[in-house]
Amino acid sequence: MPVIGIPVDLLLERVKTQPGRQELVEHLQHLGCDVEGYATMRRFACGRCGNLMEITETENPPVVCDRCGTDFKSSPEQLSAAGEKDVVRMELLAVRPDMFDPGGLARTLRNYFKETLDSPGYPSKASEYVVTVEEGLEQRPYIACAVVRNLKLDDDKIRVIMKLQENLHWALGRDRKRASIGVYDLDTLQGKQFRYTSVGPEEIEFAPLGYSAGEKWTPARVLKEHTKGTAYARLIQNHPRYPILLDEGQQVMALIPIINSESTKVSKNSTNFFIDVTGLEERIVNKTLNTIVTSMLELDPGAGLETVKIASGPNAHNTPDLTPQPAILNPKTAASRLGVPLDRDGVSECLRRMGHEVHERPDGNLDVKVPAYRNDILHEVDLIEDVAIAYGYHNIVPTLVPTLTVGAEQPLEIAAQAARASLTGLGYLEVLTLILSNEAAQYDFLGRPRQNKHVVIQLPISQDQTMVRVSLLPGLLDTLSVNTDHELPQRIFEVGNISLLDESETGASEHRRLAAAAIGPRVDFAGMRATCEALLREFGYRLETRASLDPVFLPGRGAEVWGHRGEQAVHLGLLGEIHPQWLEHYGLGHPAAAFELDFAALGSC
Amino acid sequence: MYVNELEYALLTFLEQQSGEITVGELATSLGKDQSQVSATCISRAEWVEVREEERLWLRLGKKAQPFVEGGFPERKIIEALEKLGGQGDLNAVAEKAGITAQDVGQSLRFLKSKGWAEQQAKTLILTEQGKQAIGSTGADERLLEALKSGEQESSALQDAVEGLKLLQGRTGVVEERPRTLRWVKLSEPGKAAVRQGLESRTQVNQLTQEMMISGEWRQVDFRPYDVSLASEAVYPGKEHPFVSIIQQTRKVFLELGFEETVSPYVESSFWDFDALFQPQDHPARDMQDTFYISKPEQCKLPRQEWVDEVGATHRDGGRTGSLGWRYDWNDKLIKQPVLRTHTTASSIRALAENPNPPRKVFCVGPVFRRETVDYKHLPVFHQVDGIIIDEKASFASLLGTLQAFYRKMGFQKFQFRPAFFPYTEPSVEIFVWSDRKEDWVEMGGAGVFRPEVTEPFGCKVPVLAWGLGLERLAMFRYELGSIGELYRARLNWLKETPLCR
Repeated sequence: MPVIGIPVDLLLERVKTQPGRQELVEHLQHLGCDVEGYATMRRFACGRCGNLMEITETENPPVVCDRCGTDFKSSPEQLSAAGEKDVVRMELLAVRPDMFDPGGLARTLRNYFKETLDSPGYPSKASEYVVTVEEGLEQRPYIACAVVRNLKLDDDKIRVIMKLQENLHWALGRDRKRASIGVYDLDTLQGKQFRYTSVGPEEIEFAPLGYSAGEKWTPARVLKEHTKGTAYARLIQNHPRYPILLDEGQQVMALIPIINSESTKVSKNSTNFFIDVTGLEERIVNKTLNTIVTSMLELDPGAGLETVKIASGPNAHNTPDLTPQPAILNPKTAASRLGVPLDRDGVSECLRRMGHEVHERPDGNLDVKVPAYRNDILHEVDLIEDVAIAYGYHNIVPTLVPTLTVGAEQPLEIAAQAARASLTGLGYLEVLTLILSNEAAQYDFLGRPRQNKHVVIQLPISQDQTMVRVSLLPGLLDTLSVNTDHELPQRIFEVGNISLLDESETGASEHRRLAAAAIGPRVDFAGMRATCEALLREFGYRLETRASLDPVFLPGRGAEVWGHRGEQAVHLGLLGEIHPQWLEHYGLGHPAAAFELDFAALGSC
Repeated sequence: MYVNELEYALLTFLEQQSGEITVGELATSLGKDQSQVSATCISRAEWVEVREEERLWLRLGKKAQPFVEGGFPERKIIEALEKLGGQGDLNAVAEKAGITAQDVGQSLRFLKSKGWAEQQAKTLILTEQGKQAIGSTGADERLLEALKSGEQESSALQDAVEGLKLLQGRTGVVEERPRTLRWVKLSEPGKAAVRQGLESRTQVNQLTQEMMISGEWRQVDFRPYDVSLASEAVYPGKEHPFVSIIQQTRKVFLELGFEETVSPYVESSFWDFDALFQPQDHPARDMQDTFYISKPEQCKLPRQEWVDEVGATHRDGGRTGSLGWRYDWNDKLIKQPVLRTHTTASSIRALAENPNPPRKVFCVGPVFRRETVDYKHLPVFHQVDGIIIDEKASFASLLGTLQAFYRKMGFQKFQFRPAFFPYTEPSVEIFVWSDRKEDWVEMGGAGVFRPEVTEPFGCKVPVLAWGLGLERLAMFRYELGSIGELYRARLNWLKETPLCR
């Protein structure tokens, strides 16, 4: 999860209640923020686009501008120090993008502190701006836009908007794939009839953000040479035409979703803004616009919102649509699901403290209006969680479910415990080895031919872990190999699962195995056979060993393990002295013997 | 007073002596082994005064034999020189003396140090001193002669000092052995004790079966041990420390009335993700975070009605009253096999198989994530997952159950913080207080299953659910530096880690 630093001064200037530093951290934690603590951030400004970048005391200054992509290694004169800022650092809570910035977070706190018990309505009027969506945009079909006027910015607030944009790209946009945002200085835009259209890779020229107005870049060049172009080319380059936003004077506003043009860029003198969000899912596009626009309005109470008409063929609609989402909540359900003593008024108050508008219905239920900037209310239960958060998890009295049920363990686990008791009684130490292994260990270094019955990992992290194990022996030999400096004899065992392909629902099943190994100057077949016999005795079996040619063992010193119970004889596994060839491979310098048994065959206890 | 037989003999013998006597003489007089007598004297330090003197003993060394039998080559050389008329060529001397030229060469330094001959170029000339030496013996020769009968103390030998000096440079001919000579006599308390009367009893080391049968144990004393001495270290075979934690975890949930369930390591995306309302573009489903499987190539799907209900829930909420995720749910992706990323897959399978309350189910087992290996992360780790399906279940009883578990695992202070998981609402993360870290440490996530998770399987009552990491409990309890220490373990660590702490 990305970490964000919320400037403490910007946050608290919008809140009447002034909590102490520790108190503020506690409130934020109760709201679900994963707070790391306070920090003093060092700031650097990009000389080319004015972007402010923050680093912690331990980080190195930025090497590339995260807005325009300027490379500060080749142009160090473009990077300048821009003072320090006191911030509270927290991990982003992906489901609450409305709390990603000081404006939105202050809004949450005002409600939580009961300073305001209504969500702000964000009144809007219709602007004269129209964006026409043209043909050929299958790769990025949806657009939503807004106009914000009279918003006074300074370097800090520009940074807040840029940072919010970046974090919304992460949380809602899935790295610009589902949604991406563009913010422009409205006063640089010509006319009011804009076009969201597509162009060929060489069809148009413009100066991308960070390059002087005279420079001419085609979309193809941007994708190839601009740092933002190479970073996001994958989102559009598989299509012959690229999405582009043009104003009425044919000025390029942005190559979408890559980069804005230099000529339309936002500066601290900008007061009027045009915002667009484009993407693959209409719901996400609209939610993203709602989030950025309302958070921008929170930065300056004097700012005003205007809607933009989106025209697509014969259809047209205005965005943003900040109509609250209606929901109904039964307060009794809420209280009983949470196990808290809240009545209807208590539930209502909790919901209001979470920013919802609440009205009581004649039937006792609550009509809830969920603010348009909330993205996470899919169901009544999401409102119930809001009630729990407002009530405070720390205020909930933990209880237990009153219903009695009868516990029952897996029969295999009972047998496993009996096996552990037997082998530890014989002086064996239990070990655990890794479940993920590789074919060399599982087959080659036991002298066994490779087989096709194992689970294969598609994209392994390392060549050591390409499959799920099919035998416990390699893990035991490996454990002995890291203990060659330890006194002899060594006796170890493992109870664990192996996996084999089969015709079950998932195509593979686990099989519980038990393996034991011993190493030392006097270790031999007879001693291991005695151990195996003792174990089988505890499971009610009489041991019979029949010659085996398994190449893991010395020829003539390997055996199949058969167990007899009455008339029945079951094949349980293998036993023998390990072939010196494999001892040598594992760097072991003494005789070793081992057995491996199938637990399911060994049966219940 | 009772003493053992040797003590009795020793003390009464010493009482007869007027002065000091060496331990050697004492042992000979008692007819006992000298080391045994010595040890007895030392153990009775309050009664026996022991005075020690360092003495040097000499005996013939390993290289002495040829010299004892044939004499030193320099003596043969001067005898030959005399026969040759007082001087001679080196080779002629060797031939005359009946020794090799090499022997002559090695003898030159002794001829010179004894002053018997001088060398001029290749000629040896007998000196006056050399002439006189013929027919007499030197101190070294007399010393060898004296030691022929065996080891002797150097102060008793006339030629010891001079002889050893002459033998310098001839290693291994005479061995010097420093020894402590002990003189003993009774102390005043010792004399008093003997005068008061001693009684002898046999002292034995080991109680034997014969003593039991004969009843002899009644007549003997058992040699007292120094009980403060260390004994040899032995170790029992035992359960792996992490298995202890797993067993303890299982025990807690069994005590709380849970039934245990299992589910396969290879799991379909349907059960690992979709059935838990995890949207198909969720980052957790990324190839970077999850182990996808190339064999088996595909999983089979469970009952079609389950697949249909889950799909509808993703698309528009289906019959659950939810808005759903509103995207194009793809029923091809759900057959993709993965190594299960959480044991919650076991929980949802258990719920689907039997959604009827009341039920409490848990599962302990390994889960797999494509993590880069470091001290805190391995691609395989263990979780305990549990669900409670109960009409009376509430978020408060979820917190209570979690608290009960961590109490039994040895923690005292808890914090519950809001969290987000796609399949639970409300969701919570549990933190425990660590005295060692002096901070809250996150232990795991929990919540109430969303209706989008439970209702497609026909479950309409609240379902409490959690998935808690177990490795971090081990890291706490055993103060591990790295999670990797649990696997490929050092046997030393396994042996030294107590079962109880």
